[in-house]
Amino acid sequence: MAAVPHVPHLPPASSDPPPGDGTAVTGAAPYGDPAHRLGLALVCAAAEPALSGVLLLDLDPRLVEPVARLFGAVLAGADEPARPPLVLGAADRDEDLWTRTRIRGGEHGITVVTEPGPLAEGDGADGAPPLVVVPDLARLSVAGMRAAVQLLGADLVTVERGGPRRTVRPRARWLAVCRGADAGRVSRHLLDRFALRLPMAGLRLPGPGAALAEPGAGQAGEAEQALLAGLPAAWRSAARRGVRPVPVGDAAIARAQELLGPGTGVRRELALLRLARTLAALDGRPSASAEHSDAAARLIGVAVPESAPDRPEGHPEPLDPAPGPTGPPGTLPERRGAGADSRPRARDGGRGLLDTGPAEGIGTAPGAAPSPAVGNPYPEDEPAAVRDAVPLSGPRRRTTGPGSTRGTVIGTRRATDLRDIAHVRSVREAAVHQRARRTERFTVSPVDLHSNVRAAAPERVLVLLLDHTCRAGAGPWPEVLAPFLQWAYTSRAAVQVIEVGAADAADELRAGSFTARGVLDPRVPAALHRRAGRATPLAHGVELAAQALRRLFRRQGTGPAEAWLVVVTDGRGNVPLRVSHTGRPAGEVAATGVEDAVAAAARIGAMDRTRLHVAVVDPGREPYGDLPYVLADRLGAIVVDGGRGSGAEVAGG
Amino acid sequence: MNREVPGPRILPYSRVVAQDELKLALELHHVVPRIGGVLMAGPRGTAKSTLVRAFALMAHGELPVTLPINATDDRVVGGWDLDALIRGEPRPQPGLLEDAADKGLLYVDEVNLLDDHLVDIILDVAATGVLSVQREGLDTAKYLSFGLVGTMNPEEGGLRPQLLDRFGLMVTAETLDATARHLLLRTVLDFEQELGREDSAWLSDARREDGRARDRLTAARARVGAVDVPDHVLELCARAAERTGAVGQRGEIVAVLAARALAALEGADRVTPGHLRRVLPMALRHRRPEAARGDTFDWEPDDDARLQDLFEG
Repeated sequence: MAAVPHVPHLPPASSDPPPGDGTAVTGAAPYGDPAHRLGLALVCAAAEPALSGVLLLDLDPRLVEPVARLFGAVLAGADEPARPPLVLGAADRDEDLWTRTRIRGGEHGITVVTEPGPLAEGDGADGAPPLVVVPDLARLSVAGMRAAVQLLGADLVTVERGGPRRTVRPRARWLAVCRGADAGRVSRHLLDRFALRLPMAGLRLPGPGAALAEPGAGQAGEAEQALLAGLPAAWRSAARRGVRPVPVGDAAIARAQELLGPGTGVRRELALLRLARTLAALDGRPSASAEHSDAAARLIGVAVPESAPDRPEGHPEPLDPAPGPTGPPGTLPERRGAGADSRPRARDGGRGLLDTGPAEGIGTAPGAAPSPAVGNPYPEDEPAAVRDAVPLSGPRRRTTGPGSTRGTVIGTRRATDLRDIAHVRSVREAAVHQRARRTERFTVSPVDLHSNVRAAAPERVLVLLLDHTCRAGAGPWPEVLAPFLQWAYTSRAAVQVIEVGAADAADELRAGSFTARGVLDPRVPAALHRRAGRATPLAHGVELAAQALRRLFRRQGTGPAEAWLVVVTDGRGNVPLRVSHTGRPAGEVAATGVEDAVAAAARIGAMDRTRLHVAVVDPGREPYGDLPYVLADRLGAIVVDGGRGSGAEVAGG
Repeated sequence: MNREVPGPRILPYSRVVAQDELKLALELHHVVPRIGGVLMAGPRGTAKSTLVRAFALMAHGELPVTLPINATDDRVVGGWDLDALIRGEPRPQPGLLEDAADKGLLYVDEVNLLDDHLVDIILDVAATGVLSVQREGLDTAKYLSFGLVGTMNPEEGGLRPQLLDRFGLMVTAETLDATARHLLLRTVLDFEQELGREDSAWLSDARREDGRARDRLTAARARVGAVDVPDHVLELCARAAERTGAVGQRGEIVAVLAARALAALEGADRVTPGHLRRVLPMALRHRRPEAARGDTFDWEPDDDARLQDLFEG
């Protein structure tokens, strides 16, 4: 349980008062309180366009809706109703996001109107910025992820799709939710675009009477209304009108770099500093100092060393905390009055916005057990995070299989229903007949309608994991693998090849991977004849295979009907997974490489087997001849004797 | 329906911190457009996109023609103006490739995320110089020429070798040391603050510096036709390409063009081995066999070592 924090105050050092009605932004509850952090973060995101992306990690799914409503209300301000948010999920397509086509029936036939879609319509319009909500970022469609990459933090975005042609300056704010354990499945490129990332595992919203409510309890709207009422009026005003950037001191920059460490990306540093700058502006300070960097770090859950940082001259040391909390952790502070008296004074001996609670326990509500993930806004940095390969790219598509309303448009045909209408083709068809029809208005008749023909996704996939270091003693691989290659050829399967231990590998500590349209791709036979190297990053290869399979199967509507994973290995991995991830050999390896491979194989073994088959090809090398069987056991695979070159199955997995 | 937004807020080119190789590649391409394009690869957050836009604003006074990753093919090759069609007017609408040919540059952000069928279209036009549209009642064929500038984060996937080869030069974003990172953060934050000021001396200084850079490029463009390329430099180039195992001959040709542009930028009358040495990694790194397999784009010390004796003495 987190310690009950104090509510200290900082002396107002600025002659530039905070915006709004004069309510001080200092005096708020400190950062050990998830609800306080959430409210402040949403205000900052609303006030500063550069902080437009908010990612909440491990938020209880039942709280997504009230938090979204809260964000909408913060964006709208006190004087206007919040706009309904745009909710993105696994089924959204480019066609739905960027353009919106309306077909209206009328006295003279059908009229087609193409307008900017939901992601583009709010930009350039007056009023509060639109809000985009992603309830589960890891399950967002590829189109949604790509849209987020394009829009989040961008100064300009070009829309070039059938219908509107626009260059827009994005105004929308994004609220996304993701489980920390799923963060590895999301593109790091995309995660990096979320400027504000807050661990929210312990968040509870206040129920009626400011009592903490269990998630999902209480009347709809009560929780966020209680939270909203707890936001000081000055914050809400700043959120609505925005804040002017204040100068950022060199000490603040140095402190941000120190807090995030040397290996972090520039975007994270910039995001932290922009947050620090916004906090300083909300606090009415003329510039952002190292203290504001500390405050920003605590707000997003980055640990701040207990020892006070070196502070630049001219910045006061933080004063002793004021006694007593304002309320229970997990709730926002009581709304203060607008009078000058409510503004904290230096003589009060307190701190306000810059107050720093203990780094540990941040985001943990009363009664919630601390979790290792709590407090880490960058879970994808964990070496154990399972990562998807190229999650922003769609799968290769083929022309086999049934027609689909998803996928690349490869042509048009006369429509038999009103699904997936090819608008340009339909209007063009109608235009050809206008003169002949002699109607007063442009009309589109049912006979003009055409629908899109789309490429289908591959129905079968072969994933080959090739360990080149086990080649000695084994039969010729093309012969051993012939049954699988023939299956892939005849079923026109796509092929994913993962290679470990090749002599000419770009990085011998990591597995390599490529996707081919089929077994006839020249890279596939080339992969069957590579020379063996020294290192065997088998664990990394198995991990890549797991990622590839998960990526294939998670695509609703475009996933394969059947897939084979074929692993050719003697099981003797000698590169631990951590070494593959970091690229740095560390100490004695012993059996870690083997153990990591077996652990990674267990993840594949746990996958649904209705469409997945797994085989391990055993080259029959000694000693440790049982290792392929151990691996097969974890994979749930059959074992094929690869030593004789016969491809005969010798054991069930 | 077409709408433009006023005044892009892009960091001025002269204020982009570090990334000298990326800047040099763009400048060389501007001096000699026949280089045929620049591909910039690097991790996220290394100012690749900012640099391209800042360069276009500096050099051309406008943003580049941009191909977004979710563009539809009718926007790329051209089609009908839908609004006009609805009004009963069959009005063709030029595609991005035509726009790019007018301005000389097509910028593809996140080029490795572009759909395959769009890549095929761009490859066809870039390779043949002809945009032929036979669809939706259109029947046109035009000669087009444009340079491709693409940015990509290799973490998100690679590029097919055919498309890689269409980029004359390839450069990789450098990793900044702590001092440069501090300067970068300082610059970006200062820029964002100055944007709110009506009369910003900071922005005025930056614009003046951008103007000087533009003048330098203009002078180099005017001068480059007179820069001599000695035979021994050509021979050096051919041998260097042979040693790196570069696939095809486009690498050598581009290397010579780039060396010539560099000589012009530096005010030299003739290309020297030093000029060539400096541009060789840009021209050859993505044409090595390992790059074609998507393994690596990095120009390693081993690559330098292979060429060392060619340039000694």
